[in-house]
Amino acid sequence: MPAVPTSYYLGLSGVLFTIGMIGVLIKRNPIVIFMCIELMLNAVNLSFIASGRHFGHMAGQMMVIFVMAIAAAEVAIGLGIIVAIFRTKETINIDEINLLKY
Amino acid sequence: MNGVNISEDLYQILPLIVLWGAACVILMGDVILWKRSRGITAFLSLASCLVAMWLVLQRVVSGDNTSAFHDSILNDPLALITTIALLVTASLSILLAWSYLKNRGMNHGEYYVLLILSVTGAMLMASANDLIILFIGLEILSFSLYILAGFSRNEVKSQESSLKYFLLGAFASAFLLYGIAMIYGGTGSINFDVIAKEIQGATAPNPMLMIGIALLLVGLGFKAAVIPFHQWTPDVYEGAPTSVTAYMAGAAKIGAFAAILRVFNTLMPFHEFWVPAIYIIAVLTMVFGNLLAITQTNVKRMLAYSSIAHAGYLLVAVVSMVTSNVTAHDQAIEGALFYLFAYIFMTIGAFGVLVYLSSHDKDYQTFDDIRGLARRHPLPAYLMMFFMLSLGGIPPTMGFVGKWLIFIAAIHSGQVGLAIVMALVSVAAVYYYLKVVWMMCFEAPTKAPSDIPANGFPALLSVTFCAIATVIFGVLPDLMINITGLIR
Repeated sequence: MPAVPTSYYLGLSGVLFTIGMIGVLIKRNPIVIFMCIELMLNAVNLSFIASGRHFGHMAGQMMVIFVMAIAAAEVAIGLGIIVAIFRTKETINIDEINLLKY
Repeated sequence: MNGVNISEDLYQILPLIVLWGAACVILMGDVILWKRSRGITAFLSLASCLVAMWLVLQRVVSGDNTSAFHDSILNDPLALITTIALLVTASLSILLAWSYLKNRGMNHGEYYVLLILSVTGAMLMASANDLIILFIGLEILSFSLYILAGFSRNEVKSQESSLKYFLLGAFASAFLLYGIAMIYGGTGSINFDVIAKEIQGATAPNPMLMIGIALLLVGLGFKAAVIPFHQWTPDVYEGAPTSVTAYMAGAAKIGAFAAILRVFNTLMPFHEFWVPAIYIIAVLTMVFGNLLAITQTNVKRMLAYSSIAHAGYLLVAVVSMVTSNVTAHDQAIEGALFYLFAYIFMTIGAFGVLVYLSSHDKDYQTFDDIRGLARRHPLPAYLMMFFMLSLGGIPPTMGFVGKWLIFIAAIHSGQVGLAIVMALVSVAAVYYYLKVVWMMCFEAPTKAPSDIPANGFPALLSVTFCAIATVIFGVLPDLMINITGLIR
């Protein structure tokens, strides 16, 4: 059975990363933005695993473990910040969070 | 070479272990043992930073220069010197926060714990010899800073700055991580030594590596706050509590520049590819950082733009690093390290004066607040004047010597154009620094004279230390150059 070439995985990861990036740029709800960032991180994970398999060593897979741990910590902090801002402002729409500007 | 012996590895990261241990002990002790007595928390945090600094200094003196954990951590002079700068930043910030937090009603022990943890992140970035350690260090630093920026829990501005910093920071780290993945894909390794060996003799990077370098530059540029990745800086600096701003301005910049110096030193064979990019970013950062600072009416915001401009001067040193002349290469790194020290003393000092003057209900930050300050509070006004002169690069201050060293390094490595831009924008920058001095000394106060500022002795101690350091190292720069010269 022919194996899927590494470049396919890398291409898919690039596409996923771009989708995540576009989501961050056009969405207005911090939680959705945050989900898009998670999508970007997972796209990166895919390319780590693909490269790791391509080179035949463990480094790529190890990195994914680290990235997953960091992403989990990021969720805890991010949601904490969003809850805190909702308590003081009663909204989390990015367009209404605009006290600081030029 | 190989870290077979685990105790030897652990010895190499002893300063980090001390700080991590202290953070755990303080976090639990603050809840269980010495409830409500935040003086003990602050004191223990300060003590742990000083112990870590002593350990690092010992290593600098003994000159052992080894790597640990299979070459993923490298304690070379560059790492040790930036670590010292980071620990100085942390100690000064702890002193600044001591009574400020109490007066502003946010005296929670977590503040000090987060501060210590974030400094360990920046220390990891400084001694990372491996892309994944670099990433973990950056995230430890950032996560603590996200929380610290929103530390004033009932102030909407602080919350908002925290949310902005978090969303943009996480976005930028995704780019950085993708850059790491691409570099891994392009070279087959995440270790700087192996990457350097892999690309030896090559003249052009393969496409994957090229994308990787570009994305890595985006991620690190965001942390270092260079234009065009700077949009978060003024908002976060303005919204965060001032003591946090002082710390963040120092630590994040040192960590980012330590990483930039190491990464681009590794990628030296491809300099034809990345130098133009950094060249353009440096010019944009210097010019627009200074121009945007001119129009500000809030001291914190103005200092934020000024810190962007200073990142531009540091990038000049990064570009000047690329030269066949070995002396000029070392000179550029030395200049950058000296400038980092100058930068932390003057920036923490300037923010420190604002911390010292802040009252119970409001941060001291607009131009109206400082108008006529010399008549109301002479001492902080004169200290502020020192920092403004130093930031503007007027002799005999540390800011002048730092700019001079980078300027000379740029000329020696043949970057005359960049040196000229740097000199011109430094002159323009003097305008807005002197505007602050003018307002403090020559304009009539808009506020009634108030009592002695509430934020007391520790903050004043920290600010005075910065002022003395700014002047002493400005008059006798050799004291500092002896330390930064260790990288040779």
